[in-house]
Order: sequence, then C-alpha cells, then structure tokens
Amino acid sequence: MNNYFEWVRFGFSALFTLLGLFVLLSGVIGLFRFKYSLSRVHAGALFDTVGILFMSLGVIVALGFTLTSFKILVVIAFLWLTSPVCSHLIGNLETTIDDNIDEHLEVLDKDIVKQIKEGK
Amino acid sequence: MAKKISNNWWSRFTDWLDIGSGKLDDSMMSSFDDETSPSSSSVELQKDALRHEKDIDDIRNNILEHEQSVYDSLHTGFTSKGAKHARRFYMLAAMAFCIGIIALLLNTVEYLPEFGNPDNPVNNEVSERYIEKGMEETGAVNIVAGMILDYRAFDTLGESNVLFVAACAVLILLRISVEKEGDAAVQLEMEADDRMYEPKDDIILQTTATILVPLTLLFGMYIIMNGHISPGGGFSGGAVMGAALILYLNAFGFEKTERFFTFKTFKAVSVCALSFYAVSKAYSFFTGANHLHSIISPGTPGKLFSAGLIPYLNLAVGLVVCCTMYAFYTLFRKGDM
Repeated sequence: MNNYFEWVRFGFSALFTLLGLFVLLSGVIGLFRFKYSLSRVHAGALFDTVGILFMSLGVIVALGFTLTSFKILVVIAFLWLTSPVCSHLIGNLETTIDDNIDEHLEVLDKDIVKQIKEGK
Repeated sequence: MAKKISNNWWSRFTDWLDIGSGKLDDSMMSSFDDETSPSSSSVELQKDALRHEKDIDDIRNNILEHEQSVYDSLHTGFTSKGAKHARRFYMLAAMAFCIGIIALLLNTVEYLPEFGNPDNPVNNEVSERYIEKGMEETGAVNIVAGMILDYRAFDTLGESNVLFVAACAVLILLRISVEKEGDAAVQLEMEADDRMYEPKDDIILQTTATILVPLTLLFGMYIIMNGHISPGGGFSGGAVMGAALILYLNAFGFEKTERFFTFKTFKAVSVCALSFYAVSKAYSFFTGANHLHSIISPGTPGKLFSAGLIPYLNLAVGLVVCCTMYAFYTLFRKGDM
C-alpha cells in the first residue's frame, strides 16, 4: 500500500516537472523567435511565473510535507511578486523610449502610451 | 632655394616690423609663388591668392586620388587569394593555440591531488584543529564564522577595509561636491542630478516595494545575527540589506530615502563599524597574545548571544557592506548620496 502511494506521488511529481519543462521550453523559444522587444517581454514574463510554479510544485510533491517544501512555497510567492514587476518595468521603459511604437504593433489606447511617455 | 626662403623670412620680418601684422598674411601668400616677387599692388596679390587656391585644390585632389588608390590596392589585396589563405591560416593557428592551451591545462589538472583524498596537503593539522576544537574555543556553531571572525579576524578586518577604501575611491572620482559655490558647479550639479529622470511614481512598483522592503531588511538582519549559528554572516546579510535599500530608492526616489539615509549616515555608520571592529579585535588579540584574562567568553554554543565577539563583528561587517552597496549604487547613478 505504501509502495503504491509512493509510485503515485512520483507520477505526480514527474508530471508537474514535465509540464514545467514544457512551459519553460516554449517560453525560451518565444524569447528567441519574437522580433519586437515588447513581445519578448510578454513571452518572458509568462513562462517565468508558470514554469517556476510547475517546476517547484514537482519538487514539493516529491518532498512531501516538510519545512523545505514550505520554504519552496515562500520562494514561489517571492518570485510571483518580483518577476511580473520586473517585466512591467521593462515594458514601461520600452514604451517610454520607443518613438515608433505604431510600426511594431497596433496601439489600441493612445492616451495611455502618451501618459507613459510623459511620466503621468 | 633655402637662401630665397630665408630672404623672404627676413623681408616678412621687416615688413611686419614696419607696417604691422596685417601685411604679413599678404607677404606669406605671395611668397608661396616662386615666379613672382612680392609686389605692393593689391590686385596682383589677389590674383596670386586665387592661383594659389587653385594649386591647393589640385594638391588636395591628388592626395584624395592617392588615398583612393591605396584603399583600392589594400581592398583588392584583402580579398585576393593570398589574403584568404592568410586568414585561413590565422584561423587554424588560433584554433591550434586554443586546443594547445586546453591540453596544457588538462595536463596540469592530472597532477593535482585527488579530490577528497585524506592525505591531501589541505587536510593538515590547521583544519583538523578548526573542526575539532572550533566550537569549543570560539563558541560558534558555524565553523566558517568561527574561522573568519575569530581565528582569522584580522583578515576579515582587511576585507571590510577594502570595501571601505573602494567606496572612498568611488567617492573621490564620482561625487559632485555640494559645498563648491559658483555657477559652473551649480550647472554641473544640475546636469548630473537625475532627479528629473527618476522613475515616476509607479504604483505597481511602490506596492511591491512596501511589501518586500521590510521583509528583505528583516531577512538581512536575520542572516547577520544568526551568522554564528547557521550559514550566513555579515557579508551576505549586508548584501541583502543593501539590495533592500536600493529597491526602496528605486520605488520612492531620492527625496524619501534621504529622510533616513544621507551621506552623513554613510560616513557615521561605516566609520563607527570599522573602528568598533578594529578596537574590539585589538583588545582580544592583546589579551590572547599576552595570556591575560579576557572578559569575552565563548558562552553557550547555539544561543543567540554567544560566541564572544562574533555576532557584534558580524553586525559591524554587515553594516559596512550594506552602506557600501547602497553608496556604490547612488554614486554611479547620480554622483551623490
């Protein structure tokens, strides 16, 4: 019975890790394939959060309810707080600097771009 | 030829003495032309000047043609067969050189002592003593902290001083002096002051900073104060605290940071921490070397206030590292604190 439970846990852990690997791989491909920097920021921000979540969940399932897995949960919370903010700042900077933003993408709300450029 | 030029020089000199410097240019113009002697008529001089300009144009064109021909010959030489062979040879030589260096380094690795072998020269009586008696003598559970802040505390004092000296050098190079008066200094300060280009009041960044900065500061303090119990210590904890200060600065700008951290704070904290370190370690070295009774005791290993001076020295080192990190950031960004 115990052995059976261990196998199920290993299966879940492997599933989460493989999912995380898939997300990270697709994100990295996006990082290298996209031409415009804002698209690259988009790809980087998304795969960062989800990929790290799945990889860490795999480790947590493999470890079980220990102090280390709680620490990994804290690490996930920390990365979820910081990484999107970094992407937001990089995107903000790109919008501020780039004068020909219309050439790369379709701007739906021009007022917001103007606000960002002028610094509110 | 030489005689003529010297004669011209003399005549120019006398002309200059007689009439003044305005005449000198005219005589110089006419002196370039060997055929005509210097004449006093201004029309003739103008004609000479025109002819002379034409000559200069010709010379310039000749030089340009020559440069073009040199460029062409070099370019064709670069793309010719011989140059291609030379480049291929250069590439092969570079590869051979790299492979040779790698082979040499790998060969050297072979002569190194085996990793983890108990008979290695690293495993001598010094490290044995640290491992066996470290906790008993220093009172620190973390052997590394006991080593760097007790056995080899002098070395760590040097390291903190290196940081301080580096900060001083950057200060000398980059700091814009505020005390200087005058328009130029004010202008320079205005240019270097990047408060205008500071990040705008970004609500997302500010909210994140309000959550993260206190936590990061606490975590840094935890690393510093538990340096003798668990892995960590002054250097790593100080770096964490400095990062928290930099994040606060980025989110809220210089005006809010200057309410609690200015250049005066940097000076006071750094100097106090370093002098405390030097004085306390001097006391412990003095008593230890002369076999005197020291009031510093190792205490109970594992408790927060134990291990003699180590927690306080860790705190001093951490404060110096924190201040230096923050100072480097502000100096490289704005040239001031």
